[in-house]
Amino acid sequence: MSLIEIEKHEVEEESHEPVRIRGLPFFPHFLLREVVVMCLVAGSLILMASIYPAGLLKPADPFDTPTPIYPEWYFLYVFGFLKFWTWNIGPIEAKVIGVTLPMVLWYGLLFLVPFIDRNPSSDIRKRKIAVALGVIAILGILYFTYYSIVYH
Amino acid sequence: MPELPRGDHMRLEDKIYKWFDDRFKLKELLTPIIKHPAPEYAVTNPLYCLGGIAFLCFLILVGTGVFLAMYYKPTPLEAYKSVEHIMTAVPMGSLIRSLHHWAANTMIAAVMLHMMRIYFMGAYKKPRELNWVVGVTLLLITTTFGFSGYLLPWDQLAFWATKIGTGIAGSIPVIGEYISLILVGGTDIGAETMTRFFAIHVMILPITIAILLLMHFAMVRIQGISGRL
Repeated sequence: MSLIEIEKHEVEEESHEPVRIRGLPFFPHFLLREVVVMCLVAGSLILMASIYPAGLLKPADPFDTPTPIYPEWYFLYVFGFLKFWTWNIGPIEAKVIGVTLPMVLWYGLLFLVPFIDRNPSSDIRKRKIAVALGVIAILGILYFTYYSIVYH
Repeated sequence: MPELPRGDHMRLEDKIYKWFDDRFKLKELLTPIIKHPAPEYAVTNPLYCLGGIAFLCFLILVGTGVFLAMYYKPTPLEAYKSVEHIMTAVPMGSLIRSLHHWAANTMIAAVMLHMMRIYFMGAYKKPRELNWVVGVTLLLITTTFGFSGYLLPWDQLAFWATKIGTGIAGSIPVIGEYISLILVGGTDIGAETMTRFFAIHVMILPITIAILLLMHFAMVRIQGISGRL
């Protein structure tokens, strides 16, 4: 009973001041959705773990280099960019650029996103440059991932 | 919080709740948390689940990771054998290790997709700039978790992928040599590297990620979930 009373009370309070958001209480609404999703994900993970168990190859042997060796999928684009970049710029070697650009410049730019993008609008139609750059970044990562697999 | 019925006819869970409420003022503490409004679009739009999925994976990783740490031995001579032991002899060991593996990959994917949602919805804008910075740090820590966990089974893939990874990190100008020295702990990947990766994977990164996650969630709570797309 009092659960409903508290909700009524809040609604009354909101009507006095301008309404900022139409919200549902964290509990039970938001949490229920979250628990349903968590059950689905946990179930899928258990299913995947049972069907495709984590692999274990032969013990490490420093004198036997296997081919091909791939890094984890989330590092493939770094690896791919290193393979892709073969041009020296002045005294800087191609290898150094291939490593530094994705590791330092790319992550540095990611950190600075909110300080570079001063456009106050969060409407996707008024953020054409930001959206375009985001799409280019995703396509770039996909391309270099593809590149690292094909041109291994 | 429901008003509790008085007297001796209280249900057991009400009695337990009252016992704690009398001592810790649960009602005062919990009401603002559980009643805190979540915007309607965040409840109905599945894109808002991605952060929660990453957090669930993190919880699974903590649980399964503690289990694995009970059996795992971080030395080049013992590591492979202990992982083999987990996979073949320990009850449910294979499932738990595979779950650790799958949850790790899913977590990284969920964190990346979560970041893409934040980016394209412009949710990093004022007042959430610092939460974006913490978020990118969390992405870095999550991938470093993956990288440091990769070496631990000490199989062929583990050894050679780590060799490539530390080689790449070592080629960064100026700081690369030091990063490589800190990670590898010598000239080549060996017992020193393994001890370091194990310490990073089970001590340094978990403490760091726990602190940053608290900051991340506290900022969401203070600043609210961002507006509509």
